Amino acid sequence: MRLLYIIDPTAPMSVPQALLVAVTGIAVVLLELALLTLVIQLLSKAVRLFTGRKKNQPEEEFFIPPVQSAAPAAKPAGVPLPDGRSEGSLELENVDEPTAAVIMAIVSNESGIPLNRLSFKSIRLMQEKQK
Amino acid sequence: MIIDVLKGILVSSGFASLSWQNAVMILVSFVFLYLAIAKKFEPLLLVPIAFGMLLANMPETGLMADPAGLIYPEQAVEGAHWYNDGVLMLIYAGVKSSIFPCLIFMGIGAMTDFGPLLANPISLLLGAAAQLGIYVAFVIAIALGKIPWIGFTPSDAASIAIIGGADGPTAILVASKLAPDLLGPIALAAYSYMALIPLIQPPIMKALTTEKERKVEMKQLREVTKTEKIIFPIAVFVIVSLLLPDAAPLIGFLMLGNLFKECGVTDRLSDTAQNSLCNIVTIMLGTTVGATAAGDKFLQPTTLAIVALGLVAFAFSTAGGLLLGKLLYLVTGGKVNPLIGSAGVSAVPMAARVSQTEGRKYNSSNFLLMHAMGPNVAGVIGSAIAAGFLLLMFGD
Repeated sequence: MRLLYIIDPTAPMSVPQALLVAVTGIAVVLLELALLTLVIQLLSKAVRLFTGRKKNQPEEEFFIPPVQSAAPAAKPAGVPLPDGRSEGSLELENVDEPTAAVIMAIVSNESGIPLNRLSFKSIRLMQEKQK
Repeated sequence: MIIDVLKGILVSSGFASLSWQNAVMILVSFVFLYLAIAKKFEPLLLVPIAFGMLLANMPETGLMADPAGLIYPEQAVEGAHWYNDGVLMLIYAGVKSSIFPCLIFMGIGAMTDFGPLLANPISLLLGAAAQLGIYVAFVIAIALGKIPWIGFTPSDAASIAIIGGADGPTAILVASKLAPDLLGPIALAAYSYMALIPLIQPPIMKALTTEKERKVEMKQLREVTKTEKIIFPIAVFVIVSLLLPDAAPLIGFLMLGNLFKECGVTDRLSDTAQNSLCNIVTIMLGTTVGATAAGDKFLQPTTLAIVALGLVAFAFSTAGGLLLGKLLYLVTGGKVNPLIGSAGVSAVPMAARVSQTEGRKYNSSNFLLMHAMGPNVAGVIGSAIAAGFLLLMFGD
């Protein structure tokens, strides 16, 4: 049942009564916000626990590897490289290394394939034909 | 004949019915306009408030007339319709019905980043302690109520005390429900003191803290995930409104606005809430609140008492936050700078800026702003809860 008011707002109030209301009021605010503090701490822990498990994989996906201009040592086919590097040699034509790194990261992100499972052969700048 | 015409014009003009109270209030509105425009004291609010005051004190304009009895049934004239009411009185219905304060809260929610609070949840306690002034002012107002020429009722005292929450919309909501006759002076005192926070708080901060405490550098806050920021407004609303349903309108709209901001799929709504809508409502709220300051109601001894009590409330709220900050300093072994406690008085972000400025005075490499933003936004929640408590106690 909903009360219209707890204390008659027009009736005179003594100072001790007012003190009682004041102490109750500050206690209500403190308790509610203390409860919220507790709830936030629990929620944060739960969220971080939940998202923490999923976090490692996406970080690898967004790792931008250094561009390799020389061929690395041969490795068994189909085995992903452990440190997030891509396999094979890469030929750059009119493309600088930072741009190539960005392109590889975008391809990895868009395709959903980790960079250590991708092999880039060459990246070439396609010139637009002059009309 | 010409003399009769001139006489008629003069008799029906405002000059003939201009009372001394109206004249004084017109001058007061000029002072507020000067403070807002020349001194930049909360201009976004003070300009509409001061102009509303000017509008309402112009005699014979009928801008705040209520023949339909929409707001004041005792003024009702038989046969009058709602559209016979003055234009400001019609807009004032948005204040009286709590629509405007709630919409302003939605805008505040859409502008607020609760990240610092989530990164350091203990800030909520500082926001709670900084509501102390509300209750101190309430007790003093009750004590002053024994003086015959003041005579505050408990609901008047509660409305005046909420000035200590340093939150304009909250003060307006509580006053419009519990003491509509005092709305003008309460709103003006609340906004004036909020503008004066950089002058009011520093002496109290200096008096209640040691130099060693003021120099404390706080650890960098952790990064808060998007998921936490999305869950937070929903969780806060559910918990607070279940515990204290009277706080639900303010907290609900505050958290709705924040959810618009954080969920990432309602950018247009968030933009509207924090810009266009908030600005439109600010114009209507400010103008009509100013218009409640009619000379015959405003120029009373009670107004002086309200102004004095508002200052007491602000001072004690600042002290409450600082004292809990000192306690946290002791409990954590000096890891919390007590200066961030004063930011718990709401008044976002001015109170947090004062903590930052004062901290830098004693340690130039200190950066307290983000740490102070936690108690600062907690103060908004705290004052809404305090308002809910007062409405539960004395509301009808």
